[in-house]
Amino acid sequence: MENLKLVAGLGKERSKIQVGNAVFGESLVIIAGPCSVESDDQIMETALAVKAAGADILRGGAFKPRTSPYAFQGLGLQGLKYLAKAGEAAGLPVITEVLDTRDVSWVAEFAQMLQIGARNMQNFSLLKEVGKCQRPVLLKRGMYSTLEEWLNCAEYIMNEGNPQVVLCERGIRTFETYTRNTLDLSAVPAVKEISHLPVITDPTHGTGKVSLIKPMCLASVAAGADGITLEVHRNPPEALSDKDQALTHGEFDEIVKEVRLLERYMKEKKDALS
Amino acid sequence: MHLAEIRAEIDQTDMQIVKLINQRMEYVLRTGKLKQFILDPAREEQVLKQMLSQARGLIRPEFITELYQSIISESKLLQERNLKLVGFQGEHGAWGELAVRRYAEDMIPIPCMEFAHVFEGVRDKELDFGMVPVENSLEGAVTEVNDILVETELNIAGEVVVPVRQCLLALPGTDYREIKVVYSHPQALAQCRSFLSRNKLEPRPFYDTAGAARWLSQERPSSTAVIASPIAAELYGLDVIKEDIGDNTDNFTRFLLISREPSATPGNKCSLVFSTQHRAGALFEVLQVFAENEINLTRIESRPIRRNPGAYAFLLDFLGREDDPVVQKALGRIREMTPMSRILGYYPEAAPAR
Repeated sequence: MENLKLVAGLGKERSKIQVGNAVFGESLVIIAGPCSVESDDQIMETALAVKAAGADILRGGAFKPRTSPYAFQGLGLQGLKYLAKAGEAAGLPVITEVLDTRDVSWVAEFAQMLQIGARNMQNFSLLKEVGKCQRPVLLKRGMYSTLEEWLNCAEYIMNEGNPQVVLCERGIRTFETYTRNTLDLSAVPAVKEISHLPVITDPTHGTGKVSLIKPMCLASVAAGADGITLEVHRNPPEALSDKDQALTHGEFDEIVKEVRLLERYMKEKKDALS
Repeated sequence: MHLAEIRAEIDQTDMQIVKLINQRMEYVLRTGKLKQFILDPAREEQVLKQMLSQARGLIRPEFITELYQSIISESKLLQERNLKLVGFQGEHGAWGELAVRRYAEDMIPIPCMEFAHVFEGVRDKELDFGMVPVENSLEGAVTEVNDILVETELNIAGEVVVPVRQCLLALPGTDYREIKVVYSHPQALAQCRSFLSRNKLEPRPFYDTAGAARWLSQERPSSTAVIASPIAAELYGLDVIKEDIGDNTDNFTRFLLISREPSATPGNKCSLVFSTQHRAGALFEVLQVFAENEINLTRIESRPIRRNPGAYAFLLDFLGREDDPVVQKALGRIREMTPMSRILGYYPEAAPAR
């Protein structure tokens, strides 16, 4: 970890990163929305639903890195337009993944936060490009990456002049096959030990199972995560991507209620103790 | 060529035919304003004869006759409707056209190459009105229009404030990542300076925003986009890559309706042009009259008088009604004090743009 000059936390104040009205590092930030933007009304419907449930940021993919080249690749520019419009209508800032260095400045025109996906975590030219842009970046942990490798990627972004990096633990590959990935919750306190950057979790990809999402959301909050990101779809069986792990609007609403309850409880207890 | 390609060419040609017919109708309406009677058999015969001389190749004389009889009869129908023609500077899809539509839906916007042509068209009775921009919230006075207002004998009969929402437009199917240069009116390029630099796009000046859109749709250069209104995108079949790319969203342009007659409806706003004598305090004394009578000024602009260098004309707008004795008393005082003063018009104040 000795190469971490900007990411290392020793002697530094914890970073607070603002996106719209949400501030990572201050209170729990909930990011929600579909895996992919599929149509104008699909993203609009979910945007209004997650806003009503209490989400802080709307997510939605316009460019999709899929395992198969024949799977749905996203709507591209049209998807960005739908996402931006839905975010504006719901009063939510939006986050979307950027895959290509040539897209960075354009995606930044439509989205208030950029996401670097797990598969692109070590795409160094892409990291440098988002490092040159003024938007906050959500850096997901690669599924085969150590903490040190992950944090060095954040160092790449910050080294280009963009200090607004939020880390996201999204599960790693292990020998376990029951879950899609293994959500490494110990990464949350570990990152906080090493770095001043906010860290959130992605229980959707971390488990790949709807039934496990809520417990892992609560566990994330208990472990000290600064936020969670969740995939929500108006009709999961019909989703064009990741349909097995998307929450319905109703399931999401229920999770937000419990998560906020736990957040409040922890804060009150902490305040009472200090 | 594949069937689909040939069909695309046919569609393009059809679009151009309709645009040219529309242009012909606009000219017809302008001549209609100058003619005493709509029926003019000698002219009709002349048009037909001239077009028959073009009947060659696949175009049969019978087809020409049928086509032009249909066009001429439609032209006469339009002339009979006595439509209100409003000249604006630029091509279809320009912000001036949007101002006309915002002012009144039943008026017909007529494109003119230059601001001077708009004023001349109204003066010469080819046009009923003109719609010209007088000031922009970011770029200030439109100097050419203000200079003409100092000299004109025409009246201001109304105003309208238009929110300017610049859009980046490109040919359908253009990969936005390939765009390298952007053409538009220098004012529009200036309003989007930061967007262009963020995305490493090279700005190139063009005489009109909508004109740039038309040029792009016809010449089809690669790696090129234009900045123009969303209406221009529709008119010239371009894709909107990004809406609202202006550096500041408070971008408004105020347009004036120019007329031979004063405003038909009494208004609460008045425009005045005057000059002052060359002595200390002359301008101050004029402004003092407004202050003493508690008349609120909404704009003051000074322009050099071109035929008399060193002398200045002042264009001044204030809130006040023609039938208000206080306003008339103040204006009477100003007439006595100034070597030149002229009321450009009383008209209703425009609603705010938002």
